[in-house]
Amino acid sequence: MPPSTRLLLRCQRHARPQYTTLVTVGKRGYAVASTRPEIYDVVCVGGGPAGLSLLSALRSSPITSNLRIALIEGQDLQRSRLHDASPSSYSNRCSSLTPASAAFLKDVGAWQHIDSSRIQPYHEMQVWDGVSGARISFDWDSASALPFSSPKQNAASPASSTIAYMTENLNLTSALLARLDELGGVSVYDKTRVEDIQLGEETDNLDLRSWPLITLSSGKTLAARLLVGADGANSPVRTFAGIDSRGWDYERHGVVATVQLDGHGWGGDAVKTAYQRFLPTGPVALLPLPGAFSTLVWSTLPQHAAHLKTLSPPDFTAMVNAAFRLSPTDLAYMHTLPSGQASELAWREPHTPFDPQHISQRITDVQPNSTASFPLKMRHAATYTGERVALLGDAAHTIHPLAGQGLNQGQGDAAALAATISTAVAAGMDIGSTLALESYNAERYQANNLLLGVVDKLHKLYSVGSGPVVWGRSWGLRAVDGVGVLKGFFMRRAAGVR
Amino acid sequence: MNPLRHKFISQCLQTQVYPPDASTRHRYLDVGCGGGIFAESVARLPNTESVTAIDPSSEVLAVAKQHQKRDPLLLEPGRLTYLDASIESLPHSSVPEGGFDIVSLFEVIEHIQHPSSFLSNVIPHVRPGGWLVLSTIARSPVSWFTTKLMAEEVLNIVPRGTHTWSQYINPAELEAWFMRDDGFWKPETMGVVYVPMLGWKEVSGSEKIGNYFFGVQRKG
Repeated sequence: MPPSTRLLLRCQRHARPQYTTLVTVGKRGYAVASTRPEIYDVVCVGGGPAGLSLLSALRSSPITSNLRIALIEGQDLQRSRLHDASPSSYSNRCSSLTPASAAFLKDVGAWQHIDSSRIQPYHEMQVWDGVSGARISFDWDSASALPFSSPKQNAASPASSTIAYMTENLNLTSALLARLDELGGVSVYDKTRVEDIQLGEETDNLDLRSWPLITLSSGKTLAARLLVGADGANSPVRTFAGIDSRGWDYERHGVVATVQLDGHGWGGDAVKTAYQRFLPTGPVALLPLPGAFSTLVWSTLPQHAAHLKTLSPPDFTAMVNAAFRLSPTDLAYMHTLPSGQASELAWREPHTPFDPQHISQRITDVQPNSTASFPLKMRHAATYTGERVALLGDAAHTIHPLAGQGLNQGQGDAAALAATISTAVAAGMDIGSTLALESYNAERYQANNLLLGVVDKLHKLYSVGSGPVVWGRSWGLRAVDGVGVLKGFFMRRAAGVR
Repeated sequence: MNPLRHKFISQCLQTQVYPPDASTRHRYLDVGCGGGIFAESVARLPNTESVTAIDPSSEVLAVAKQHQKRDPLLLEPGRLTYLDASIESLPHSSVPEGGFDIVSLFEVIEHIQHPSSFLSNVIPHVRPGGWLVLSTIARSPVSWFTTKLMAEEVLNIVPRGTHTWSQYINPAELEAWFMRDDGFWKPETMGVVYVPMLGWKEVSGSEKIGNYFFGVQRKG
């Protein structure tokens, strides 16, 4: 969900002694609903990829198709649809969809609505150490399955050499909205802010003391059997539930841009490659888009990020080309120059040895107004569920983008929560009860925790500029590159293939 | 254990010549409903027309009714009705024409001192073609060890005196009782075991020594 959504909350959740101490004590206010609340089974706050996927899954399954569902989104949802489908212009917010995410989107019937001319399946990933040059090449051909493993495990990539699909986030949300339009049955409140969330009251007939009542900026009040927080890293639903979010800031910014290469890639349109070079300041990555386009994700120091955004297009493209070719020392110097990077690169490059075929083709241009940056951090909620509350996507966890896993984790969350709700409905349970929601936490928490941890350690490992750590990680990288079974293991985990 | 109750009932219904489809609606009678765990869960299902849940303990029924108030769905008219009554005192007006489609007796019969006369009072409420389903514990050294010694004396997870081992009934005994005349047929049994960390699991053969479900259909 876009971080610009504003949500105001006045009261926190009342502590309940029989639940865990993760719920903080707050002052309980009194509901001042001007109208009787409308009762919904699921109220999803947040219309980003995670929330929309969850609702698509619930609406497309017969078991959960009778649930009364509402979606609340602060922005105009029309802005989440693809309007400019020009093949020479791409949004700068792209994500790498794993085969597991793609399979889930196919299951819920959203994949068919994706504009396939704007997504780029890629077949190879070249990753190398910016200090030592140690390199690993990920592709299904050089990855092996475990010996004696079952045929299902051997199907590393079902009938295709695709590693992942590079997709504009707008394309994905557009497809999910189209699917929801097709299915119907969701009360959509967009361009609407959540003003307040309170617990309900007990009357003679009805006891809503455990039900969240959501007051919208339009004055309407919704009562939620299950309140789903898909509302981003600063999730107000998570705050309402009194769930802590712990982690740290990376003191890095991710710079994104849409760039143009001087070709369609070394393998042409048939074999597209993603490139990532680990610099001590952070990894720089070029992910392929259709044609000669690519999306840039460069995680670097905040001052470098600010500097990059001030550069003219020729100097910006030179910096990006330099990031993949020159030594960290050269780059550090070039970051100090207000301009002239193009000529700096021109005279340094002939003196720097590299194999052009091993790295991306040269960047020739950057799409106007596509340069942007955002701060990088790691956060993990203490738990994903509370009484009548569930969190998913960025509201539950935030990760470093170096492994392209963040959006996919949200998709995995959506699939798991939909399955948990479905099981609960089939067993006649109250879907908001902690007993019903427990299986979602069990399914996703440890898996996400592990991934957050691994990616964090990779960031820290590659932040070292010299010394034995560089030697050690280079040796390790080459070892994994050489051992097909190990490589296959990591590729399957990253792809979400079980 | 509640999901297994649903699974067992479903299993029984699937053995019918005409199994239920999406449009079938069932009327349930839950005898000895306690706090209403089963009654609530079955009242939420799409195939349920109504649930009448009875228990002779008014304190326990008060808890059940208080919990019912937390879910607007359960407050829809006729969906879930709690009655402070025993099977013997159940008023005629509460029994639908012909009887109930499914009469459930979960964890009840082991607490009854005269099970034969008790069951004789229950079965008239099952409509011809309907099902009586129950769950109880077999009478074996293993069940004495787990439910009496461990649960009541050692681990103290069940209040002492909750169970009387001599009142446990074996599935073979139940089967013999129901089959003695021509009124019931198609006995179904499913043994279940509580596995720590995993919950209740169906274990074939365990009905001879531990917890089990038993179901019979009334002919007609």
